[in-house]
Amino acid sequence: MTIKNLLAGLILAVLAMPAQASLTIFACEPEWADLARALAPDARITTATTASQDPHYVEARPSLIAAMRRADLAVCTGASLEAGWLPSLMRKAANRSIRPGQPGLFYAADQVNLHQPHDHVDRSMGDLHPEGDPHVHLDPEALPRVAEALAQRLAEIAPEQARDIRRRYLQWRVQWNLDRDRWRQQAAELQGLELVVQHTSFDYLLRWLGVERGIDLEPKPGLPPSAGHLSQVLADERLTGADAILVATYQDERPARWLASRTDLPVLVLPATVTDDGDTATLSGLISHIMTRLAEVRHDRQR
Amino acid sequence: MKTLPQATSVLLLSAIPLHPTFANELNPEIGVVLDGYYKQNPTALSHRDEGFGLGHTELSLSSPIDDLFEGRLTAVLDDHDGETELGLEEAFIQTTALPWNLSARGGRFLSQVGYLNSRHLHTDDFVERPVPYRAMLGSHYFDDGVRVNLLIPTPFYWQVGAEAFDGDKLTEGEEDIGVYTLNTRFGGDISNSQSWQAGMSWLRNRQAHGGHEEDHDDHDDHDHAHAHGAAYTGENLYIADLVWKWSPQGNTRQQQLTLSGEYLYADDLDDHGHSDDIHKGWYASAVYQFAPQWSAGARYGKAELKEAHGDHYHDQELEETDVMLAWSHSHFSTVRLQYTFQDAYGFEEADNTLTLQYVMSFGAHGAHDY
Repeated sequence: MTIKNLLAGLILAVLAMPAQASLTIFACEPEWADLARALAPDARITTATTASQDPHYVEARPSLIAAMRRADLAVCTGASLEAGWLPSLMRKAANRSIRPGQPGLFYAADQVNLHQPHDHVDRSMGDLHPEGDPHVHLDPEALPRVAEALAQRLAEIAPEQARDIRRRYLQWRVQWNLDRDRWRQQAAELQGLELVVQHTSFDYLLRWLGVERGIDLEPKPGLPPSAGHLSQVLADERLTGADAILVATYQDERPARWLASRTDLPVLVLPATVTDDGDTATLSGLISHIMTRLAEVRHDRQR
Repeated sequence: MKTLPQATSVLLLSAIPLHPTFANELNPEIGVVLDGYYKQNPTALSHRDEGFGLGHTELSLSSPIDDLFEGRLTAVLDDHDGETELGLEEAFIQTTALPWNLSARGGRFLSQVGYLNSRHLHTDDFVERPVPYRAMLGSHYFDDGVRVNLLIPTPFYWQVGAEAFDGDKLTEGEEDIGVYTLNTRFGGDISNSQSWQAGMSWLRNRQAHGGHEEDHDDHDDHDHAHAHGAAYTGENLYIADLVWKWSPQGNTRQQQLTLSGEYLYADDLDDHGHSDDIHKGWYASAVYQFAPQWSAGARYGKAELKEAHGDHYHDQELEETDVMLAWSHSHFSTVRLQYTFQDAYGFEEADNTLTLQYVMSFGAHGAHDY
């Protein structure tokens, strides 16, 4: 009985701890942490993944359960990107405000029209998401819509901060529009660049820039590059027109290096999402960085 | 005549909204797990016969029920000696909207004692559960009952939970509530690349002294007769478990090392026993996923058991070492080759065996727990 009393006392003591006044946010991916930070800089934000981690494969770790337990809002990509881990986290965290249909669960993919939705999907086609390509976070046109919806959601959850959030959204929006105009001008020189890619991690941005992505190192979406597929890629006629191979930092570089060693193509290893520090620590910084690197490739190829 | 159906199909197609709202949004998620194997020799305390066979074939349906409840049903087809048994392994409802990070579950479900018990067999890294689980929990203990879990508001993960079960799936008996359990688990990250979880469980079996229907004569084929009941029980079962995982920079897709181990201890065996008669066992497992599609692992498990012979016990001991290599083409298909060494005292069927197994799933595939 004494152990029971002790436990009850402990639980009461912990429950009595003062509640945090500021918002607590759980971001599934760093890009949404960056957006949330721009709108609510005082919020306590936990990010479930980093740029070195494949967001499709994250474990519902104890630390993440604890972070989701105390969150007021979870900001995730949706469109089944996190289907392998988010449902388990939500069940374990048992946070009644973070579940489908509640304001506490925000999906970025629900705010925009996704590319490549599929009416028919089966697993023989690879890990295709019927909702469409979920990697929307690098789309210069889609992000303002996500940011606006997120600002509204934050204001709904923390009405006392609504005015500040609205103001920060407008600031963010003005800066983003300026950046986007600059990117649009720079995009002219990237028109027609052809890349070999691995997965659709950068697809929304490349599409916006008018960069061709004819060849994918993945034999099917979500499957790692196989030797058989790589030799097919090597024989692909479109490879002669390619300018570079682009892979994300969380991916295995070896298939890209193998292909590079058999062609004269440069390999670009770029973060697919915002990093902890450096000039890629914000979404606009990341897009600028990717464009700069692509422009370097174009210059080198033209020389 | 051909144009009319064509015209209707065009109409139908155009009536389907561009944004694909899926047919199954109001239907339950349906998932099937297929498990088949070839096993060279029979082994002790095994649920798999030698030769070609089917393992745990699962059909599961799950869905939100409304905004407060979700439900899940898992039917399992098990094949033993050419007879197919249809079993209901899970049929539960769970709350999704209780305050204070509470959750409650009712119906039939897998008990959350230990690290492995609450997990579905198809997520395991080896062909069968470790020796102490097979002896003391019947591989995986599920029953009809209720569960309440609470997440303690600490900065790190700390969960406490209690369950009450009918108990007849562990040992037959007269009690209304034959089994109850207490469980706590906590864990966290050590760095970006390392995470851990530890747990303690206590399972109280109030019917351990009750059911004596399995006397000496039955015991020779307890492997099959008690496919789901536990052959070795005590009034108290204590389990301690520890898991540690490592991935370079936390990128589990490329590489992951998982070390896990559990210790099981059961006492108060039954009326005939001396106070120092106990069952105990432990296992330790190391699994290294060294490429996205490949993993290799080794596991050692040991159980020291007491077998009832009328009014006294005979000692039994089983040691098992497994080594395995698994290839998962996609997240949904695994082919596994495993070699098992058994060393036993007091078991007749102990042997070494090679097993080739596939575990594949189609349809809905639930998210995995840690």
